[in-house]
Amino acid sequence: MAETATWQWHVVMPLDDLWEGEMEAVEVDGRSVLLVNHEGEVYAYKNRCPHQEWPLHDGDLDEKELTCANHLWVFDVTTGKGVNPSNCALIGYQCTVDDDGNILVGLA
Amino acid sequence: MSRFVLVGGGVASAATATGLREAGFDGEIVIVAAEPHLPYERPPLSKEYLAGTFAVEDFRANPEDWYAQHDVELVLGTRVEALRPAERRVSLSDGRALGYDALVLATGVRARTLDGFAGERVHALRTLADSQRLGERLSAGRHLVILGAGFIGCEVAAVAAERGVRVTVFEPEPLPLGRVLGPEFGRAIVDIHREHGVAIRTGEVVTAMTETGAGLELTTRDGEIVACDELLVGVGSVPNVELAVEAGLAVERGILTDEYGRTSAPDVYAIGDVAERLHPEHGRRLRVEHHDTAVKHGGNLARTLLGHAEPFTGQHFFWSHQYDHNLQSLGQLTGEGETVIRGSVEDRSFAIFSLVGGRIAAMVALDRPRDVLQARKVMGVPHEVTAEQLADQDVALKSLLPRGAGARRSEVVR
Repeated sequence: MAETATWQWHVVMPLDDLWEGEMEAVEVDGRSVLLVNHEGEVYAYKNRCPHQEWPLHDGDLDEKELTCANHLWVFDVTTGKGVNPSNCALIGYQCTVDDDGNILVGLA
Repeated sequence: MSRFVLVGGGVASAATATGLREAGFDGEIVIVAAEPHLPYERPPLSKEYLAGTFAVEDFRANPEDWYAQHDVELVLGTRVEALRPAERRVSLSDGRALGYDALVLATGVRARTLDGFAGERVHALRTLADSQRLGERLSAGRHLVILGAGFIGCEVAAVAAERGVRVTVFEPEPLPLGRVLGPEFGRAIVDIHREHGVAIRTGEVVTAMTETGAGLELTTRDGEIVACDELLVGVGSVPNVELAVEAGLAVERGILTDEYGRTSAPDVYAIGDVAERLHPEHGRRLRVEHHDTAVKHGGNLARTLLGHAEPFTGQHFFWSHQYDHNLQSLGQLTGEGETVIRGSVEDRSFAIFSLVGGRIAAMVALDRPRDVLQARKVMGVPHEVTAEQLADQDVALKSLLPRGAGARRSEVVR
């Protein structure tokens, strides 16, 4: 089951519009998705902090650490894992960049 | 095998247990908590849980199944009755005695009570049960009186007003939170509450209470009688230090510890709200009742218990939500230094900085999350700023940081 691709790819935006060290909230299929470009690698997460569901895009991205603006919870954007506190994680989505330089997000 | 006993059911205990297991500690961990609940976060008790937007599962410190999965024993609804440091042993209210290799006191604080103000319609707000009981009484049209316009009082006033309750707040000081946050903040908070229909009666004190068949009658210092249905006493807290005092530990305003959380007794530690802990950057002991600090104390102590002791030097941070407004604070606002206002007090989008020797010592912000995030980074490194720079909104706070690499475009490599 785990090997089966059950998600649907959505073209979201050109990679050119999301610079390294930047993040942006986009709406994909009715869901708010946070895109993060860390050193050229793009990651997609549910745009809600797992703590109290506040949007993450107002937060601060510093190297690979994303800090939620509300209660200053910190996450590693390369893994989605909580840094402080550590017993939580962002909800991640499939994400890739195609040959034309478009960011694609896969939603189940 | 080592056994670590954590006393208290809040986030400080939970964060210690989490930190220990994440670092690979495979000894026994026992959490003893007086409340019958799994460890939970307290901030929602006067906000989302009281408003009915959060259920209990939404603010547990760890998921329900985490404790069993990580072999952490929970002894809930149980008090530690006695601590004997010389024997490395605690006695529990269920009759058990537990030996320990390390004991962590994270017993927190309780609500301060007022003589003459008790009864079926009188509330405090500190526990899940308190919040549940108060929430059940907040039906539209009833009259809630709150004694004390501190954070608990203000947050409950906001939730109650939004639920259609008539709210009156008595605050002996001329402005709510004025001593902590300064007059601009105090005035903004009064105005915000008044616009939502809350009567904030500053400079006034309720001196007596009587129960009538229909409700409560309060008497003010000026002799006025105020009738209400429910009363919340929000006049501060008392640290739960009794166990430590009886065990002979050094206690002043809280349980005294060094910068590592060590008390005066060997292998006994104190963290969270109850600890009066040496903070190396402040050069003195501080007792801080912030959720964020309690969590960080727990993580820090886990490292200390595993032999990687490092002083806790973190910035203090807290937040409050009232209506649609977001208040956040960094550092310790002590009133020292120069006060600088950034943003617009009239538009209720401003931050107040305390500037000491060219450094940001502390800040508090109303609806300025970006300023808080940026100030936090600046405050974490050596920096030098002027009052003019802080007051000038065209100067981004992050520009005060040492220059790093900026954003750049990514190459498509495929």
